[in-house]
Amino acid sequence: MTTIASPQPPRLAERLLRASVRDPEWREAVTGDLREELAVLAAARGHQAATRWYWRQALPLIARFLVSRLVPALAPPRRRRLTLAEIEQTSMLGAGWSREARHAWRGLRQRPALSAVIVTTLALALAANAVVFTLADALYLRPFRFPDVDRLLLVSSDTSTNALYLDRESVAPADYREWRDAATTVAGLTAAEFWDPNLSGIDVPEQLPGFRVAAGFFELLGATPHIGRSFTNDEERPGAARVAVLSYTAWQRRFGGRADILGQSVRLDGEQFEVVGVMPPRFAIPYGAEVWTPFAMTGEQWQQRKTGNLIVFARLADGRTFEDAREEFTAIVARQAAAHPETNRARGVTVLTFERGLGDDAVGPLLAIWQAAALLVLVVACANIANLLLARGAERQPEFDVRLALGAGRARLVLQLLLEGACLAVLGLAAGSGLTVLALRSARTMLPPSVIRFVPGYEYIRLDPMSFAAIAALGAAATIVFSLLPALQASRGAGGAGLARGTRSTTASAGQQWVRSLLAGAQVALSLALIVAAALIVGGVRRAADGAMGFDKHQLLTAELNLPERPYAEPARRRQFVATVLDRLAAEPGVRAAAVASTIPYANGFSQRPFLVEGAVDSDARDEKRTADLVRVSPNVLDTMRVGFVAGRPLSDADGADAPHVALVSRALVERYFEGGDPLGRRFRLAEDGDWITIVGVVDDVIQDWLSGQRRPTVYRPLAQDPTLHMTFLARTALPPDGLAPAMRRAVAAADADQPILKLAPMTQVVTDRLAGIDYFADVLTAMSVVALVLALTGMYSLMAYIAARRTQEVGVRLALGATRGQVTWLGVSRAIGITAAGLAIGGGLSVVLGRVMASSLFGLVRPDASVILAAVAGLALIAITAGYLPARRAAAQDPWQALRTD
Amino acid sequence: MTPPTPYVGEFEYSVLLAVLHMDGGDDAYAVPVRALLETRTGRPVARGALYTALERLEGKGCLRSRMGDPTAERGGKARRYFTVTPLGVRALKAMHTSLANLSRGLESVLEPS
Repeated sequence: MTTIASPQPPRLAERLLRASVRDPEWREAVTGDLREELAVLAAARGHQAATRWYWRQALPLIARFLVSRLVPALAPPRRRRLTLAEIEQTSMLGAGWSREARHAWRGLRQRPALSAVIVTTLALALAANAVVFTLADALYLRPFRFPDVDRLLLVSSDTSTNALYLDRESVAPADYREWRDAATTVAGLTAAEFWDPNLSGIDVPEQLPGFRVAAGFFELLGATPHIGRSFTNDEERPGAARVAVLSYTAWQRRFGGRADILGQSVRLDGEQFEVVGVMPPRFAIPYGAEVWTPFAMTGEQWQQRKTGNLIVFARLADGRTFEDAREEFTAIVARQAAAHPETNRARGVTVLTFERGLGDDAVGPLLAIWQAAALLVLVVACANIANLLLARGAERQPEFDVRLALGAGRARLVLQLLLEGACLAVLGLAAGSGLTVLALRSARTMLPPSVIRFVPGYEYIRLDPMSFAAIAALGAAATIVFSLLPALQASRGAGGAGLARGTRSTTASAGQQWVRSLLAGAQVALSLALIVAAALIVGGVRRAADGAMGFDKHQLLTAELNLPERPYAEPARRRQFVATVLDRLAAEPGVRAAAVASTIPYANGFSQRPFLVEGAVDSDARDEKRTADLVRVSPNVLDTMRVGFVAGRPLSDADGADAPHVALVSRALVERYFEGGDPLGRRFRLAEDGDWITIVGVVDDVIQDWLSGQRRPTVYRPLAQDPTLHMTFLARTALPPDGLAPAMRRAVAAADADQPILKLAPMTQVVTDRLAGIDYFADVLTAMSVVALVLALTGMYSLMAYIAARRTQEVGVRLALGATRGQVTWLGVSRAIGITAAGLAIGGGLSVVLGRVMASSLFGLVRPDASVILAAVAGLALIAITAGYLPARRAAAQDPWQALRTD
Repeated sequence: MTPPTPYVGEFEYSVLLAVLHMDGGDDAYAVPVRALLETRTGRPVARGALYTALERLEGKGCLRSRMGDPTAERGGKARRYFTVTPLGVRALKAMHTSLANLSRGLESVLEPS
């Protein structure tokens, strides 16, 4: 043989092979043998053929070694005498696996109901956990996925301690410029400002969510355009050529993804903008933006520090931490307060991470509760599966005893049960993954489109294979472990011990029954806690949706719109627009009353102002916590919405632009800021240099804030005296409001044909949309608690049925000796009562704690309610005991002689 | 006390015979043993089955093994050489004798014509 350079075998194959052989000497010998033959073959037939040959040889070897490694029973024996059983086994080496698999499959099919229950249980628990984990991951943990997002900050001038109410768009232009120049802990600062322009000139006009941004906006966020370019510094000057960057979705949806979009002109708020770039898919920062344009503020506007509506982002400098930045901004703001006391005296600063800044803070606690609920379901499911499998194992004890006595190895029994467990796990996983995909699809579609924009991470709601695999592994492991327990228990007693014990008198060993009672009790406890949690949330949502709101939401059509800034720069034009729409609307048949308001309850866009009463103590006046919601309305809005009138006079058409400034205030405002005194005729202003406004009337409270249901101090000003760009038209209708949608469109088009309606919906729909998220949340929680309840009842029923079956002879003896059927039934029921009572006591305690936690983390939506807990306890006790009673009664109904003959 | 003669199966019997052929030489390792088995029996022998049988026979005390020196043509891996132990020879004899006893009187059928 000529000496040749030894050819290399395929690396992966050899590595796998090495990994599969346990004994190091064998490993060396086997791989060496293959290499030796590979060299000969490569010389004769070429390298490629040799490589293929190697794979063909290696794969069966790998399989063989792996099997003997994982199943020691099949491995060659190590220096000991063979038993008869082993001799049989050795000769069955090849057939063993498929035979055991067939046995396992047959074992499952013999008890179809039990198998189905286990598979369903596993599938439900897996799906619940996978869905919740996916939602938490997408919406809360990682809603923004781009490089270095953890180095980004959001800086706000607001200092609300509750992040939920923090005003992100609060930085004054001059403050922002000073921060940009002074801050050293950040590598850069950028700003954006709400600007939802009307896109017109192509088929249907539409309002796009958009922002005016600083020139370096995209660069600071680390985003590069999909096509085209971002903004240059020159373009940020006023008077520069107007340019815009579109989002990928806007480009696809409105321009068909045309490649020649760059350089084209689009009409935004009635002006021509040149499209210079398109951002990559999924870039929609902030708040689902679809179009961006550079700021065009004059030097004078940049000097403005009185009020601000900029949202400011920063990127941490290398080596600096979040805390560094927070300290530095606090110091800068303190210096500003000293330098400009007239504007900045009471102004603070809040520094947030990017995720917390743009994420939805309400989502966190909700998802945490979901997550906890899903985990509870998983625990209940595992307890249930364990219980069912233990029962099944106990039932098969005689079978195992016989097989052990006949010489079957313990390994063999374990193998068969392992395979049965694996079959159940695989079926459960298959069903669970299908269920997960369906649930996630409905999770996506159940959110209304108007809400999606404000749900960062929405696009990431989809099955994440890695997390699903992790959850699936957990479920599968639980199933397999619990399916093995009976085998281990069975094989603990050697050989004929089990047979000698006999099957006739067997009730399960005391220890085993104790474990199973514990499992059943735990299920009752956990499902009680889940039911209470669901009931509390559902109750809260119902209060928010149907409770007293202070107005009549029925037969009320709403149309929300934003007038573009430039064409409507003149207040007179806005008044003109409003008057035209209201006139046309009022003239439509079927409209009883028409009105307009700058904001409506249960919708976006609160406007909060400091509330400064004339003659009040200076320190009070300066206190920025004395605020009121400002709503601009047409005079008849309270009639249209049917808000109760308390005192004074209503607004009228006489309160026009040139009339004295007047306002109505809410009852809550009077209670809070006038200590219940008479507010009529008193004057206040909404800014330190604002005009004085006289209170002419008091109205009932309207619930503006869906989440807390709080009555907030509110000021109603005539829209004519302070016309806004954002407004909602309201029409009280005689018939269901949907029918008047065309009339509403006609009225708006009559005033301005280019003006899109942002949202046209009945008021009931506005309320539902607003509650959609929490409603959905409550629905899913309810579903989970029902699942847990069903599982707990299955567990209780199966336990009692099993005990009853095992006691058949005992019952027979008792009946034969003269016990009444009632006494015998009581024997079984008393046990169910004991387990239920223990479970409910623990679950009741859990529920009380859970109710407190939920009340404190859910902003007043949930109110702990003892009656809810008591009702849940009573209901659960009733059905749990029924589940225990049915099998006991069946056992007692049997013929005693028949019972005694039962094996 | 001498250990009882172990029982060997049909395939193990063949493997033991093949090793005995090579015994003491440089060819008493898996590759030539397999080649011999295939040429003499005219049947393909699965590599894995051979390794299993060798390991099992060693476990029963019928074979003993030692590792040789690494060689270049094997990519620096050593060979595992086998020797049939006295116990292995006894097992072979026992099998051989029982087969011979069983076949006595059947020569007319079994002898190649």
